[in-house]
Amino acid sequence: MFKDRVDILLAGLLLVCVAAGVALLIGGGSQASQLNPSLDKAIARDMTYQAKVSFLERLYAPVNELQQNGKYEAALLKLDELSRNYPNEAHGELLRGEILLRMQVIPQAVEHLAKAVRLSADYVDRQSPLSRRSLIDQLIANQLPKLKAKALAQENASLQKTLQNLYYLQGRLAGGCE
Amino acid sequence: MYLLRLILLGSLALLAGCQGSSDRPVMKIGYMNCNSAEETMERFQPLTKYLSDKLNVEFQAVPVDTQDFAERFAGGEFEFAHTNSLVYLILHEEQQATLLATEKRGNYGSHTAGAIISKKGSGIKKIEDIKGKRVIFGPQLAPSGYLAQYDLMLRNGIDPELDIAYYAIPTGSFKHEKVVYSVYFDQFDVAAVPALDLELMTRAGKVTADDFNILGQSPTFPYCTFSARKDVDADLVKKFRQVLVDLTEPDTVDYQGETLKVLASAWINGFEALADSDYDQLREMAKRANMPPYQEF
Amino acid sequence: MRDALRDPQTWLVMLAGTVLGICGVWLAVLGNPQNSGICVSCFLENSAGALGLHDNPRMQYLRPELIGFVLGSTLSAFSFKEFSSKGGSAPMQRLLSGIFLIVGCAVFIGCPIKLFLRLTAGDWTALPGLFGLVVGVWLGLKGLEVGVGLGAAKKQFGGSGYWTPLLFLLLLGFLLLRPGFILFSQRGSAAEAAPVLLSLGISLLIGFLAQRTRFCITGGLRDLLMIGLRAQLFWGLLLFVLLAFVGSLVSGNFTPGFYGQPGAHLDMVWSFLGMLLVGAISVLIGGCPFRQLIKAGEGDADAGLVVIGMLLGAGLVQSWQLAGTAAGVPLYGKVAVVAGLAFFILNLLLFRERDIA
Repeated sequence: MFKDRVDILLAGLLLVCVAAGVALLIGGGSQASQLNPSLDKAIARDMTYQAKVSFLERLYAPVNELQQNGKYEAALLKLDELSRNYPNEAHGELLRGEILLRMQVIPQAVEHLAKAVRLSADYVDRQSPLSRRSLIDQLIANQLPKLKAKALAQENASLQKTLQNLYYLQGRLAGGCE
Repeated sequence: MYLLRLILLGSLALLAGCQGSSDRPVMKIGYMNCNSAEETMERFQPLTKYLSDKLNVEFQAVPVDTQDFAERFAGGEFEFAHTNSLVYLILHEEQQATLLATEKRGNYGSHTAGAIISKKGSGIKKIEDIKGKRVIFGPQLAPSGYLAQYDLMLRNGIDPELDIAYYAIPTGSFKHEKVVYSVYFDQFDVAAVPALDLELMTRAGKVTADDFNILGQSPTFPYCTFSARKDVDADLVKKFRQVLVDLTEPDTVDYQGETLKVLASAWINGFEALADSDYDQLREMAKRANMPPYQEF
Repeated sequence: MRDALRDPQTWLVMLAGTVLGICGVWLAVLGNPQNSGICVSCFLENSAGALGLHDNPRMQYLRPELIGFVLGSTLSAFSFKEFSSKGGSAPMQRLLSGIFLIVGCAVFIGCPIKLFLRLTAGDWTALPGLFGLVVGVWLGLKGLEVGVGLGAAKKQFGGSGYWTPLLFLLLLGFLLLRPGFILFSQRGSAAEAAPVLLSLGISLLIGFLAQRTRFCITGGLRDLLMIGLRAQLFWGLLLFVLLAFVGSLVSGNFTPGFYGQPGAHLDMVWSFLGMLLVGAISVLIGGCPFRQLIKAGEGDADAGLVVIGMLLGAGLVQSWQLAGTAAGVPLYGKVAVVAGLAFFILNLLLFRERDIA
């Protein structure tokens, strides 16, 4: 490989480059994040996510309060009001589904919950502070057998749509790659 | 020569077009007026045209006042009817009208509800507080603007005929909005308002959720309903229902030189094929409130 | 068939299939996403995200399995003096093939290995994918029959075959040292992972065995169509499927049905077409996505380019939202599959040696 002076010169230069690179990594490694804090994307992303969660909590606090006091109709109205500024926002859809579920308006509840999960998979995540896994799990356990039996008994496009939404939610709860 | 040929061809095409449409049977659909005949026609003409195209029947839209509906339907004036759910019950009980599909709109989809509201800060916070107060209702045949609230009061031990100072019904069009504004501008203490209208007004920014106390809300029951006269061909009824149920948001119709979204034009989100038994909740309400078609004197 | 079973190489292939089947299920039990114990395309999408090639915060993780497959293959190739730096045939076509392989996989939701993992876990929505894969392999074979070929890799001057193993060595460094610019999801399927060292160990073993045996999913199907039960690779594939099925039963993950399946959708036509694209291209370039990793590990720079293409494609399917989800296949995903099929047909036209046919 090293047949002449050019080879030896090039090999030497290569060694210098490699050594310089290693030296930079070892010597400057500890300063890297201080020099360029934007490189630590995990922290920035975590902060953005926390900000999103606390914004949602703040934005929908009146809805949650009304819901906790059992004032479901007023909570829905508050959501209608908020939807003027935040139309089709995932958390609003989730809360609407949750309230309609408590009011036993099942097809609409399922539709809004499925829409919320389509917009943001946070709601089926185990790790997310916004997770509603247990609520959705319970909904499927309670409603899927009933709706399946009903769909067998009668041909109804609306019922099929609700069933498809429930299957979608069931699939998302089952996990797998996204 | 070229011009003459063009005119001849054009005339032939026109004749062929006329021939095509006159071959189709003509049927009428009666649409219950919400606010005015003009508004009804504007909303439902595109849907009617869509149904004509899909079912190969020349449907004609007829606007009908609520109080005249049962009589004109009984007189055989139209084959199909689009009414509120209480008028459907009357048509079903008295004329054996066949249920087709129920309209979907608002938070409760194919269902709706009636709410009793007061102005925030009025001191009226519970349904019991309405005793001795001035109450405004929607029109008498409105299931979610009158019947539901009347029944709700009865079930809470309040007889609207005896226990409130007086009650009134607004005149003219946009009655449900007038009811809301009557409370908002302190003309009345309490209002009986459809949950849907309150929702639509809030979404439109006309009122806010914090303007009112919701004193109570009825259980949900089916919303506006398409039905058919009992002697209409069963196959056509089935197809009519299917066309309605299959309608989705992007579906369009060519109407008066424009391509319109059918559902959006009619202010509807979709249709659902409910069973007649889904109307039992409303039947019970009408019976308790001594309202048609179960009224006893 | 008897001859095939007498050959010790067949038993080695069967051993590779067995290990892949068991580990495919086991890795999901250990923490990888459901039915995705091993999925080359999903893992490439995760890794592309970790490298910043797309911004889906739920799909970013430098999957150790990919690193293990490549480095395991390199280790085996060096151990048995089979490492050979070669390449040089149709580089751009191979790069683009890599992109379209991932398009097909992403629309289906999974590579051919995952297809069988899904099926053996009772996910019947993967059936159209299986039909699509078989038809795709058959179409690819028909292409070869009429004289289509991208050309064989030739021994190359300059050591181009070393670059892919070196790249994965660098990724191994990133995985272990976790510098700030490498992204790791905190939520979503990329946050579901088996322990790093265990995944690495298992995948090194699989990579090693796959290099020794030339194990390949589409290769197994291709050989079955060509020479029937004498095909060694088919026996490996059969063992893989059997063991994965038993593993699913034993681990309690066998839930048969069309609905509520993890990482699946009901757009059957697009599952079929997605896998058809994968099958057809795989035959044309000489192996499924998994096999490309293995070949790249043993010094094949052509396969290395396919791997780079796959990584690029993995970034694109996420950035452009081409991938299928539980909600179905998006419009542009469908368009991308059709574009992939057009690319395949165009290559049949351009690389056909007419005088052979």
